[in-house]
Amino acid sequence: MLSPERRTSMAERRPSFANFSGNSNHIDTLMVPHLAGIEDPLPETTPEKVDVLIAGTGLVESVLAAALAWQGSTVLHVDTNDYYGDSAATLTVDQIKNWVNRVNNNDIISYNNAKLYLSTSIGPSCKYMSKDFGIDLSPKILFAKSDLLSILVKSRVHQYLEFQSLSTFHTYENDSFEKLTNTKQDIFTDQNLSLMTKRNLMKFLKFVLNWEEMPEIWQPYADKSITQFLFEKFKLEKPQVFELVFSIGLCCSVDTKVPLALHRIRRYLISYDVYGPFPVLYSKYGGAGEVSQGFCRSAAVAGATYKLNEKLYSYNPTTQVATFTDGSKVTVTEKIIMSPTQAPEGNQHIPDQKYEVNRMVCLVEKDCKEWFSEDESAAVVVFPPGSLKSGNKHVVQTLILGAGSECCPQNTSIWYLSTIESGVRAEMDLDAALEALEVSIVRESSSDITDNNDIVKIDEDGRPIINSVRLGQSFKEYIPRESVQHLMKLSYTQYTSTPPFDVVNPALFDNDELNNRANSVNKFIPNASDNGIIYTAMPSSEISYDEVVTAAKVLYEKIVGSDDDFFDVDFEDEDNDTVPQGASVNGTISYENAIDDDDDEDVDMGIRGDDSNEFVGQMEI
Amino acid sequence: MLQFKLVLLGDSSVGKSSIVNRFVKDSFDEFRESTIGAAFLSQTVTIKDSDANGNEAQEVTVKFEIWDTAGQERYKSLAPMYYRNANAALVVYDITQADSLEKARSWVQELKNKVDDDSLVIYLVGNKIDLATDDDKDKREVEENVAKTYAEENGLLFSEVSAKNGQGIQQVFRSIAEKLYDIRKKQDATNNININSSAQRGNGPVDIHLQRPSTNDSTSCCS
Repeated sequence: MLSPERRTSMAERRPSFANFSGNSNHIDTLMVPHLAGIEDPLPETTPEKVDVLIAGTGLVESVLAAALAWQGSTVLHVDTNDYYGDSAATLTVDQIKNWVNRVNNNDIISYNNAKLYLSTSIGPSCKYMSKDFGIDLSPKILFAKSDLLSILVKSRVHQYLEFQSLSTFHTYENDSFEKLTNTKQDIFTDQNLSLMTKRNLMKFLKFVLNWEEMPEIWQPYADKSITQFLFEKFKLEKPQVFELVFSIGLCCSVDTKVPLALHRIRRYLISYDVYGPFPVLYSKYGGAGEVSQGFCRSAAVAGATYKLNEKLYSYNPTTQVATFTDGSKVTVTEKIIMSPTQAPEGNQHIPDQKYEVNRMVCLVEKDCKEWFSEDESAAVVVFPPGSLKSGNKHVVQTLILGAGSECCPQNTSIWYLSTIESGVRAEMDLDAALEALEVSIVRESSSDITDNNDIVKIDEDGRPIINSVRLGQSFKEYIPRESVQHLMKLSYTQYTSTPPFDVVNPALFDNDELNNRANSVNKFIPNASDNGIIYTAMPSSEISYDEVVTAAKVLYEKIVGSDDDFFDVDFEDEDNDTVPQGASVNGTISYENAIDDDDDEDVDMGIRGDDSNEFVGQMEI
Repeated sequence: MLQFKLVLLGDSSVGKSSIVNRFVKDSFDEFRESTIGAAFLSQTVTIKDSDANGNEAQEVTVKFEIWDTAGQERYKSLAPMYYRNANAALVVYDITQADSLEKARSWVQELKNKVDDDSLVIYLVGNKIDLATDDDKDKREVEENVAKTYAEENGLLFSEVSAKNGQGIQQVFRSIAEKLYDIRKKQDATNNININSSAQRGNGPVDIHLQRPSTNDSTSCCS
């Protein structure tokens, strides 16, 4: 822990701060961040001594690096890879090839069982180039009202990134995709809902927005499953329950406990309409990989030193010297934080990674527009338990990105599937979900062709495609001969210490307490290369960014002593009519929600109430 | 207003940041924006639109979003994000250090690998001419002709400057602005778009801004 007297922050150490701080009349002290290299020449060589060494440029590590750098700690941030992102990286096809080889050589801890199929249409002088694709190892969506989003805004990292909206959530049921009924208007106009169901659904939606204040309703069910609660307490029917639990709540099983599920359902509803009529966003050019890069750049601007292709050889907690495989050394006065993927040879302290996430990524030669809302290029498809041929016990979550995301070329799309199921069952579930997606997209995209009244069409390669005659309104039984072209198919297993749909247990980060003999993992082991190193947890199965800030904050508190000044950066601009100092981004915000009771139909891009305008979203028209 | 992303490249200590610092500090115009805490520096340049028909020249404001390496170049650790959608690059070397031009050449190569855009404007700048005055010629290690020839062969703009006394700095940015404006004008003529209505090109999904561009960016919303 740092000394009790607080270290001066980066802003305070700058000369411009000193000029002002002597002047007591100057109340609005300018908190001017260091502009690396712009104002002062940077130090020439690697620092000999740093406060914190962070290994791995994954999400949690990058957010932590930026938070510490802005707080005033000197940070050396390294990665064994020649790219940013580590476990959250966005990779090209060539990089994926290389990554798969390393996983199968057991070179990357926390992954195994990587399988790759690659079409010959990707490569030099082929139809597609390797770098046309940005493939996320850990695909994520960003809720419009979430802790990471506030920090993106506060730290101004969002300025390095571009975001797009995602409003379409499909629930797969009875061999078809049901688009989500998530707004009041949808509920009222939905012909398939009985009046009673509509009323019950509205009742629940009103409750869930303020569920914490109404324990009398849910307390009796606190240890019960959300499905039981919805069936019994709100008399909802299965389709609505599944939508609420799996698409809106993005929960993993029917057994999800009531409070957790309510929290997750509410998360979706309060995010809706913050920036527009959609609950989540995603970053262009790649998800978590881009966000990591943004935080690393922010950390660099605040003075952190970056070194890719750098691998730790060992750390000696007594002398505090960390030695790298290239022979360089650095003294680390506070802590070493490391992703398990970066562990040195001879490591013996990597925490248990009890939980499995099985992922599949397909690059598909179809634009998949049928699944997207107009002017969008992404969708989430959820396969609830029992909806697949494989009889899946757990949900399969799918994120679909089209060319508009700039992650893949025109007329292609990326499908990310994942499940917390393990072993052979996981493979069966993912395969079944993939098949369901293929059948669906072929069916939906082919119905366009029949609209042209042409019986025979010629495809790009000059082959005729014979269309069958319309089979009435429903194409359910109709499976065209056309098939989905896979450009790439990748599957792998990732391990994590974070339980599914939960946040990290802070006790995980107690490895440095060398005197703690109670837990053998934490003991000093004479020949281990990683005594005293704190390992991070690896990305969890969570499809949103929601666990990231929690984990980074726990680590930050461990290093700094408190999380009070976590991203306490106050960029006071020349223009003073912005947010008053100290205004909390997390303050209470009364939101304009589509489910609110009033019949307000105007499209309010902003949010009301609160004196803070930091959260006001705006769409570029 | 036209907006372009400009990135800085070159070895450490050649004076990349001083050049930008000099440019921003010496510029005076009403569009001057706050740079404090900004993710990058913003600075505008006003140029004259040279009309081919000899009509009255019009003033055009060009805004640069200048991205500094933030030291990430030192261990070849620049992120892809840095190069992405860059319209122009300033590659800097130090005329008093022979090997800094060699490094600059490798940065030009790196740029050409990383940025697909053929219309990327690269400006090679030899800094620190204040150190090699007529009285003190020995300090110069890179002859102007050598760099100039290299620049011409590779289609780069080129000049020598002094960030210390400001010599040639404004002209570097003005030239880049003019070149970029020219390229944009030609592209728009081909695509038949009005140059002033360039807010959203193409019909892709709309970008969502996480914060109302308050002081930093009052223009990007509806320009």
